[in-house]
Amino acid sequence: MTPFEHSGAVITARLQGFEAELLGDLAGQLIVLLGERAPHARAETEPHGDSELVSAAALLAQLGIGGSESAPLDPALARLLPDAYRNDDAASTEHRRLTEMGLVERKIANANLVMATLTTDPVELTEPAAQSWLRTLTDLRLTLAARLHIEEDGDDGTGDEAMLGVYEWLGYLQGTLLDEIERMAGEREF
Amino acid sequence: MSIPTLERDTTLDTAGLPDTPWVTIVWNDPVNLQSYVSYVFRSYFGHLRPEAERLMLLVHNEGRAVVASGGREEMERHVEAMHDFGLSATLAKDDA
Repeated sequence: MTPFEHSGAVITARLQGFEAELLGDLAGQLIVLLGERAPHARAETEPHGDSELVSAAALLAQLGIGGSESAPLDPALARLLPDAYRNDDAASTEHRRLTEMGLVERKIANANLVMATLTTDPVELTEPAAQSWLRTLTDLRLTLAARLHIEEDGDDGTGDEAMLGVYEWLGYLQGTLLDEIERMAGEREF
Repeated sequence: MSIPTLERDTTLDTAGLPDTPWVTIVWNDPVNLQSYVSYVFRSYFGHLRPEAERLMLLVHNEGRAVVASGGREEMERHVEAMHDFGLSATLAKDDA
């Protein structure tokens, strides 16, 4: 039996209390991590900021542009928000400036939706929520893999056994959720 | 009978030409599940399962696969979408 079961267009997730708490906590940490790349989003709530500058920045953020020009130094953020070009720094910089803010905001929105769904019992996922779960589970696994130095196929991860356990559990959740999404889509084809 | 050689003019600069083809490349990574990569290729690009599985295995076995080709702006949108899904993707001028 897997944690996920669909009925009609809704997938129910059966998680233990501590599992839901852990997933919510990780999603919250992901939001904080991604928030490092969204200074304009923070500026919006900055009480002592230059108001004209803030509103221009907020507008750019709403349009999904105005992002940073350099790749993140944190390897986890660098994997979540990768360069769009290999061997063309100028093109990568331009692409990042235009698209990174939107990418960050969509990833944060997905993680926020995951946290919101975890507050109900049982956890019920509509199709858009299930899509947010798939993406956030991926982002969490990418983040943990960077922390565990899992960089190539076959890497077992260095050090932290507990973190490796969480990484594998997230993979199990994603795999079984995907299976359920596929079963749901399969039924719809008939 | 002599066959004309159609060698590429290596000094030709095609960067400014509007119909220069670009490609979206998905790179292998040790994190994403094969079932997820296949799902992304089906749900985003609309591939049928055999084509999605072929591309996924190319990524896995060869380290990379070209998953789309076309105009530069379109490829930029694809790359951004792949990054939404958490896949490792870049675009490049098609020099094949």
